[in-house]
Amino acid sequence: MFACLFVPDFRVQAVLRLEPETSREILKQSPVAILDGPASLPRVVATNEPARLAGIEMNMTRQQVETCGRVWRRKRSPANENAAQAALLDCAASFSPRVESTAPGTVILDLAGTEKLFGSTQALARKIAHQAAEFGFELNIAVAANPDTAFYAARGFSGITMIPAGEEAERLSSLTVDVLSTSPEMLDILDSWGIRNFHALALLPPVPVVERLGQEGLQLQKIARGETRRPIVPAEAAADFVESFEFDDPVGTLESLTFILNRLLQQICARLTARSLATNELRLKLGLEVRQLKTGENKEFYERTWKLPLPIQDPKVLFRLAYLDLEGNTQPAPIEKIIVQAVPVKPRYAQSGLFAPASPETEQLEITLARIRGIVGSTDENGIACVGSPRMLDSHKPDSFTVQPFSGINEEAEELDSTPADAPIISLRIFRPALQTAVELAREKPCSVSLHKKQLRVLAASGPWRSSGNWWSTSSAWARDEWDVALKTTEGVGFYRIYLDRIKGQWFVEGGFD
Amino acid sequence: MNALTEIYGSGLASSGKTSVLISLLAHATQQHFCALVDADDSFDPASARAAGVNFFRLLWVRCGKHKSKLKPMEQAFKTTDMLLQSGGFGLIVVDLSSLGERLVRKVPLTTWFRFSRVVEKQRTALVFLSQQPHATSCAGLVLSLKARPAVWSGKLLVQFKLEAEVMRMREKKPPQSAKPNFSLRAEWA
Repeated sequence: MFACLFVPDFRVQAVLRLEPETSREILKQSPVAILDGPASLPRVVATNEPARLAGIEMNMTRQQVETCGRVWRRKRSPANENAAQAALLDCAASFSPRVESTAPGTVILDLAGTEKLFGSTQALARKIAHQAAEFGFELNIAVAANPDTAFYAARGFSGITMIPAGEEAERLSSLTVDVLSTSPEMLDILDSWGIRNFHALALLPPVPVVERLGQEGLQLQKIARGETRRPIVPAEAAADFVESFEFDDPVGTLESLTFILNRLLQQICARLTARSLATNELRLKLGLEVRQLKTGENKEFYERTWKLPLPIQDPKVLFRLAYLDLEGNTQPAPIEKIIVQAVPVKPRYAQSGLFAPASPETEQLEITLARIRGIVGSTDENGIACVGSPRMLDSHKPDSFTVQPFSGINEEAEELDSTPADAPIISLRIFRPALQTAVELAREKPCSVSLHKKQLRVLAASGPWRSSGNWWSTSSAWARDEWDVALKTTEGVGFYRIYLDRIKGQWFVEGGFD
Repeated sequence: MNALTEIYGSGLASSGKTSVLISLLAHATQQHFCALVDADDSFDPASARAAGVNFFRLLWVRCGKHKSKLKPMEQAFKTTDMLLQSGGFGLIVVDLSSLGERLVRKVPLTTWFRFSRVVEKQRTALVFLSQQPHATSCAGLVLSLKARPAVWSGKLLVQFKLEAEVMRMREKKPPQSAKPNFSLRAEWA
């Protein structure tokens, strides 16, 4: 058996599925016209049923549409239509591995072998309709023994249609010939013969039909009789999960943006879930309305990428991450376009052990870290992250480190072989950046160091410990003579590490042993 | 666990508080996820690695490195608040010892009290590192550290001797003569 999912008024639904929940429900009941063409003279390219009842016809101009009362006008977006088709495929792919992308807004899936998973075909059709509603589609679904019968039944009958094997001709008989995918000339010929529906076409004798209309005519008659047999062409799964939205009027406030952003993320997560996938990298691109005076093109974008330590499917977490970032970064211009992309990966399933140490909840942790970044900043002046897990760099240069994202995953932590030292180690408290100082020498050894505007006497000194590196590079070369000194302070003896930068010829205090 | 601990020692002279902090992290990160809120970005990863800190279980928050409306101390307190609310960390250390003493003294007692109340309900140890005690009665344990003369081997500094004194312990009264001594070994010794 084959099921066909057909989205009536696909171009309208492709735009409406990205609208926020509340406005989408209103728009479904209201006349909507999709306009396309040059900005000076856009014309209607798609309408919904209320719009047709209000008198809106194809190719009407904007001015003509305005005379038909209150009609919601939306710009056509091919990117939205592609994303909607991909979403429809994802919706179908959650029920069958063999799915054909037949036409925009139409997919056919092979139901062979799915009975054990989803039950009877009626129950399966209801589940598909429910799933499609979560994707924002209102579908016609038809189930039949061959793909073409399912296709025309879905196009011709609204709701769910079940056609048992052997009853194809009888059930299709009431369909008008207008639903056939053929040329207008062929439809004119059929009309001139008085052929109005599938029943009349099916009753014609085959040989005279071939003599007058050729093989195409015979094929149309086979369709009307429900006798066609063809294999479906399975579509490849979409490699990227992208959703975009173009505002009719650029928005300047975060609140206006978040409604759409939330909806886009919900759509992406629904698609990922349908494919049993998750994402560990989310990319956001905002198109800003910045006019280039010479070319007239908009070229300014705000881009942001989040790399997550764990694959996530929850749209609320992704929305929160994006919202916190946008809240902290005010955009210099109104936003006219928003593009969200998720990199798909397999979800991670882990069973926590009884004796495993407690760890922060990963999704909650990501939001907490995003909030902390909002307070302390993302990176310092050297581009090193301000929040994360420290890592040593493979370098002899002192204080060489980087900060990696903190994952909070036990498995990763257990891979690292680290055991605490037998006895506590004397640790250094670093001054970043190192404090420039003045050092007096006696017999080539420091005898007095200036620290915090005070001249402190050196009680003992250990050094010099000479090191250098990157001598081949003028910008990153370093060379130093290091001393560990005991200084007499007002509070007692302080142990410090000082060094002479041999390239700059200056003394610095690197830190104190504490 | 479930209490606020304060460790303090001199700011100018070596007192061993940073070494105790890193040793604490080295042991805690073997079993728990830990967070270090570094108010003045003075943590040394090289010392931590030598002490055996498991970096995969350590979240390091470097305050005061980015132009912000908030001062480093305000950043540190807000971050600590969020980490406590998030939960899941066995140890949260807030290093305030590089900040000016007068600045930390201005922190209202209600803040310490709030931290103390929040941490009571969690399986988390909250440790503050500073130059002077500030949390007073809100702290479950107050530890004072002082350094004693160092041990040199020829030209090398090899050992620190520390004297720790329990100034306050909520669970039971500290013994009058509780001044345990311990030593810190240099990484190269």
